[in-house]
Amino acid sequence: MDLIINPYILYLGIALGAIGVCLALPRARVSPQAIGGILAAVAVGLILIGLGFRNQNHLPNLYFYVFSIVALGSALRVISHQRPVYAALYFILTILASSGLYLLLSAEFMAFALIIIYAGAILITYLFVIMLATQAPSEEDMDRLADYDAQSRDPVFATIVGFILLAALTTMLFRGSPSLARVQPQTGDALLAELPRRVENELRKADLWLEGDRFATAADGSPLIDSAHRTVSVVRRGEVVAIDMPEALHIRNVEALAFNLLNEHPGTIEIAGILLLMAMLGAVVLSRRQVQFDEDMKARQARKLAEAFAREGSAAR
Amino acid sequence: MNPLPALNLLAQQGFPEPMTSPVLAHYLFVSAAMFVIGLIGFLTRRNLIIMFLCTELMFQAAGIALIAFSRYHLNHSGQTFVIFVLTVAAAEAAMALALVVLLFRKRESLSTEVWGEMKG
Repeated sequence: MDLIINPYILYLGIALGAIGVCLALPRARVSPQAIGGILAAVAVGLILIGLGFRNQNHLPNLYFYVFSIVALGSALRVISHQRPVYAALYFILTILASSGLYLLLSAEFMAFALIIIYAGAILITYLFVIMLATQAPSEEDMDRLADYDAQSRDPVFATIVGFILLAALTTMLFRGSPSLARVQPQTGDALLAELPRRVENELRKADLWLEGDRFATAADGSPLIDSAHRTVSVVRRGEVVAIDMPEALHIRNVEALAFNLLNEHPGTIEIAGILLLMAMLGAVVLSRRQVQFDEDMKARQARKLAEAFAREGSAAR
Repeated sequence: MNPLPALNLLAQQGFPEPMTSPVLAHYLFVSAAMFVIGLIGFLTRRNLIIMFLCTELMFQAAGIALIAFSRYHLNHSGQTFVIFVLTVAAAEAAMALALVVLLFRKRESLSTEVWGEMKG
């Protein structure tokens, strides 16, 4: 079977990327990080151009290239920057770029949830911990790096392993993706048949729903909402009338996502809830030792005070 | 004249339009490359916090692949699973960072080598 990209370009790109990433990883002495970054960027560009060249009629959106290059470049900077704070900030850039990719894939809700949860919550925790858990530098050498930040461990070996994995993955993906089942175009509004109240509300808003109307039902009791022809069958004064759906009536991403979440994965929500509870308990237990110490101190202090009061009381008497 | 015929400048309109598999392959390549970058970072960096950041990078790559497949198959389950990926990432960050702070208090260092005696 054929790859959907020229194999020479693919493997040349992967080899270039491996050399680039290897050079970009931090080293003790002066390291050619800039050259490594440029090589890796050339490699990504080569593979993307190679992909586009073979499939000129199936190109992604132009913004895809912008976001993916920003995402991969800042991901490289996360692993190659010697200062942890900058690595965390570059990770935020990766998150922003990949939420852009989510938007291109029409997953609007997840794009914004990603920014709020990752960039807003998780990364701030990381930044706090980075600031809590670093030694204060002495006055004279502010710029000195810790040894474990300045040097990476076995960069050559790890890069070779990683890029062999990438070569295997991309070969598999580029060979297998043409044989994926072709998806038939479908109206995204098919879900409307499951949500009669939503349809009713929208009809009311458009003044198409009169008092006393109700949905005509099929033999199995489901309402007759035809999303393909965009009509709704309504029983009005004893007769069945077909009403055209208003233009504004569409299923939005959030609605479809929520419906899928609650309808098909209700058990998973419970598991996620238990997981979060356990994580919360775990974090409390892990950080509790310090509090216990304080409690002991408080108890001792209280005892001392009580003794002092008792002594004073007996002296006064 | 547009040299590349299907290069549409605006965002794809509407979820219902199916995506072709070469376009899917573009997104999957980005996802695979990001995963491998995270993996290399996890193997090479010696700072505990950066290692956890690299696992987050790998989560992120998995998320892109999930969303791309969800878009290809016009099915929202992929997006639903990204919610759970986010949940796991949040739980992991809370636990791992609490552990990192504890470890740092014990040895005053974030290096992985300091905890080398735990191996084996």
